[in-house]
Amino acid sequence: MNYQQFKRIKILTTSFVSATVAVAVVYNNIILALAGVIIGMIFLFFVRKKTKIILVDERVQNIAGQAARLTYVILTMTIAFLSLIFLGSGRRMNNINYETLGVILSYTTLFSIALYSLSYKYISKKYGETDDEQD
Amino acid sequence: MTNKIKVYRAMRNMTQEELANKVDVTRQTIIAIEKNKYVPSLGLAFKIARIFGETIENIFHYEK
Repeated sequence: MNYQQFKRIKILTTSFVSATVAVAVVYNNIILALAGVIIGMIFLFFVRKKTKIILVDERVQNIAGQAARLTYVILTMTIAFLSLIFLGSGRRMNNINYETLGVILSYTTLFSIALYSLSYKYISKKYGETDDEQD
Repeated sequence: MTNKIKVYRAMRNMTQEELANKVDVTRQTIIAIEKNKYVPSLGLAFKIARIFGETIENIFHYEK
């Protein structure tokens, strides 16, 4: 199997999962949606395992890392901004629901930052960061 | 950073796919390196140099 064939299989599987989820939404059937997603994931997992071609290398990992960081920054800033809006408008309009939503989003932001810091520290230690002084 | 991978590949009649398979990366990575869009790691640079039987300095050139 070459890379083009793998890409074709991936597109077909994604189409299958999308179609299944769409049908599940129309018929309001969560089991069908879950089954479609799980079958798609398992199928792709086995295809990846069986294929001999290299799908991930240092460049792909580099891109994935940068994309993940960008996603984290945009998502965290958006959630933080939304939480401020909900907190402010909730207090101004005396709406407890808005305020609660704002508090939840604030904690989500904090959780996201904490998780990033922890995973950064862990990965940094894995790649040799140390507090020891140099000789 | 510039490199002469394309030249060495042509001298050995090697395709991008063949080189990619020999150094365990995707063809897209070889394309990106040849176009100077991606700077390979030291390990990958060594692998590429060894495939061509050359030193890293002969293939990769550092420019300020």
